[in-house]
Amino acid sequence: MSRELKEAIIFIMPLVLFIASFILIPVLGTFWNSLWLDVPFVARKFVGLQSYFRLVSDEQFWQATLFTTTFALVSVLIEMIFGTIIALVLNERIRMRGLLRGIALIPWAIPSVIGARVWQLIYRYDYGIANWVLQKIGLASVNWFGSPLGSFAALVLADVWRTTPFVAIIILAGLQTVRGDVLEQAQVDGANMFQRFFKITMPMIKPIIIVALLFRTIDALRVFDLVYVLTGGGPGGATTSISLYGYKFFLLGDFGYGSTVSVILFILALVLAVLYIRIGKLRAS
Amino acid sequence: MNEKGRKKILLSAGIIFVCLFCLAPFFWMFIISINERPDFLLQDGMSLTIGNFVEVIGIGNLHFLDYLKNSFVVASVTAISSAFIAALAAYAVSRISFPGRIILIISVLALSMFPQICLVGYLFKLMSGLGLINSYSALILPYISWSLPLALWLQTSYFSQIPTELDKAAQIDGANRLQTLLRVVLPIAVPGFLSTVMLLFMFSFNEFLFALMLTTNYTARTVPVGIAMFQGLHGELPWGYIMAASVISCIPVILIALAFQRRIIQGLTRGAIR
Repeated sequence: MSRELKEAIIFIMPLVLFIASFILIPVLGTFWNSLWLDVPFVARKFVGLQSYFRLVSDEQFWQATLFTTTFALVSVLIEMIFGTIIALVLNERIRMRGLLRGIALIPWAIPSVIGARVWQLIYRYDYGIANWVLQKIGLASVNWFGSPLGSFAALVLADVWRTTPFVAIIILAGLQTVRGDVLEQAQVDGANMFQRFFKITMPMIKPIIIVALLFRTIDALRVFDLVYVLTGGGPGGATTSISLYGYKFFLLGDFGYGSTVSVILFILALVLAVLYIRIGKLRAS
Repeated sequence: MNEKGRKKILLSAGIIFVCLFCLAPFFWMFIISINERPDFLLQDGMSLTIGNFVEVIGIGNLHFLDYLKNSFVVASVTAISSAFIAALAAYAVSRISFPGRIILIISVLALSMFPQICLVGYLFKLMSGLGLINSYSALILPYISWSLPLALWLQTSYFSQIPTELDKAAQIDGANRLQTLLRVVLPIAVPGFLSTVMLLFMFSFNEFLFALMLTTNYTARTVPVGIAMFQGLHGELPWGYIMAASVISCIPVILIALAFQRRIIQGLTRGAIR
């Protein structure tokens, strides 16, 4: 082994050890645990793929999967649109741009639980400000957490608030690679700002939009904090995400089935991550 | 109206919208925290007070100060250790040519996309087995590992901007690799290192699921779990306390976000740009 390689290994070793002990082994362990019956007061027993068969006919699991994917799709779509608009604003030469960017970071920077708590209060049926505003403008109060659709909308709005700034910042980085002279030339040639955006800017930032899209989708698929605080998965399990569903089994001490549920989410995220890396590689080459 | 004028109007509207959109919930949080009753919208009006702040800090049974202390300890230890461990690896990746460098970075980055739920079940059993549930270690060890991918990614990009001639000069003077890192590369990369530490602090300070699973009471419970679990004595949530606690807990991360916004944005986007 060359000296270089030896040195490299020494420098990388701590990182690899940490990641192996507390990420890789736990993930592999979760796969392994999903093949066992592992509940309190019963002897641990190897059951092979039995939990996966149970999963197939588990309606609550399918409901959670449907909710999670719908939630991810809807919120990410809204976030991408708003994120692009905010990025365009932040990209302009305006006064106090730094402060504005700092402000845009805040919803994303604070603990998600705190954001969720504030929204919970905003949505309160009796004295929440959302319903107060609705009444003031002559509409009826909405019992946000009383219906599946209301809960879904409440969650999407809270998530959009939290992560749109993040999306905006990623897209902003893309916008800053768009050359000003090309845009100016187009303006001279008579293209209006919408034409300039869709014909020049958009194609140039497409790769970064795809990256942000995948990044956010993977993140949205594992949604937990928001759902835990805001709806607790209700009403009637309508907003239980896959993460929350798995967590509920862990909480009951059912580590076998909880792991099985987690594995499915892992596979969902992995498919997207592979896609992400492929795009990354394409761009690198 | 000409295009310039139209653009100006759109821009102002955009700026106002961004500010309102981002800050309105904070405004509400603050209003509730300084009101005697959270339901003042139904009452005659507000009655302002700082009582919520005094009480949420002063009432020992609420353990808010414990949560805050735990969060600070866990997040600081995590951020500094993780940034340092990642600096070692980033040094190797940016300075030593060895096979598999790129694969290492990419696969480490892919790890950060794992859903946390795929770890917590196993981690809970592991930490129970080690008797670490409800200890700082139970949080710090997974947090360090969980934040390493981002730390590695950020610092590799900072380090690769530093010319290697400096290293070579140091090595000719007889410095070994570790000395080169500590005395040449890191001092130049201090701003990068610092913003990595800040970003990691923020992530660990905000983390919820691990902390929820791996702590059981105030000895190690962090702020997010504390705030998620605040319960009133009689069922009704003590909103005044929750919002006062939220305001206090947001201060450090908001300060970090504002002070380091340029570097945070740089750090977050550098990966995406490449």
